[in-house]
Amino acid sequence: MAFEYDGVDLPIREKTISSQRMSWDVIAAPGRWWTGAERVEIARIGRAARDFEAVGSEILPEAAVYAVQKLVVDNANLNREWYNQIIAMPGMTEDRYVELVAVVVHALSIDEFHRALGLALEPLPEPSSGEPSRQRPAEAEQRYSWPPIVPKGGLNPGDQTLYGPMEWGANVISALSLIPENVRWLHDLSEGHYLSFAEMRQPDPLRAISRSQIELIAARVSALNECFY
Amino acid sequence: MLRESSQRSGTLDSLNLQGTVNPDTDSGVAHGSLLTAFAEAAVRQTDALPGLRKRIATELGPQELVDAAGIVANFQRMVRIADGCGIPLDDFTREATDDCREELGIHEYASAANTA
Repeated sequence: MAFEYDGVDLPIREKTISSQRMSWDVIAAPGRWWTGAERVEIARIGRAARDFEAVGSEILPEAAVYAVQKLVVDNANLNREWYNQIIAMPGMTEDRYVELVAVVVHALSIDEFHRALGLALEPLPEPSSGEPSRQRPAEAEQRYSWPPIVPKGGLNPGDQTLYGPMEWGANVISALSLIPENVRWLHDLSEGHYLSFAEMRQPDPLRAISRSQIELIAARVSALNECFY
Repeated sequence: MLRESSQRSGTLDSLNLQGTVNPDTDSGVAHGSLLTAFAEAAVRQTDALPGLRKRIATELGPQELVDAAGIVANFQRMVRIADGCGIPLDDFTREATDDCREELGIHEYASAANTA
């Protein structure tokens, strides 16, 4: 089983482990627009990019490889013009782009957890067989971000509460919702690494470090990435 | 979020947001300099990281170290979602933070164009 943390003398939380295992399962499975093998390949390209290795791929479109690398190492300089160019390139669409971003950032987050603690990276999962479902939610609508997003009614059953009282969710929570499964994924790995959406509204104590310490680290990481949001 | 959490804990008066953008400035948050140094070393993958890990584990505790690593990991993800999708600021965030964004120079970031 993945994420056993054998020989690691650190108190890794159970929720962290379960959310990381879930992420590996999600990456390995066929999505809506990429196969399991392509999704694992996306994670592999992203992992190499973090080490500044510009590796190629035999199964991904060139534009996908480039997009992964840009997201990992030059995220501060992305803009709408770049996005429009990427989704217009062979093998890419806005749907495929959103799915790619989700795989990249969730895999990266788990790797970053390991790197921060000085742990060996978890081997990437073996891809599952099967074809992408190729289903775009009928409720998808162009709003303020580059890709379309879906409202609460377009989310999967049981996930509507993840938007809270907002019809379209907070911008960062709905950003990847063109693939509705991403909203649950975003939440579950947030809970494993940071706080659940519900915990964000609750007072201390939530973790071993205080909420102010948590948000200070968050703000510093955002500043280092020159992230306006 | 940092300002709000400091307000809730009654430490808002001692909070200095410059500590989020300037590593030489004391944020006023307990062990803040150590935690931001750890975040920077983790994001930049510098040689300082092992020593900072050890200091956090010793001075704060191993669970604190693990939790701090989780926060770094989470926000390495969140910033890329924001940047990769070009999301603008939510109205409630803009209203609550416009003053400090100017002060901290965040309006100068390239991604600020997404909210223009």
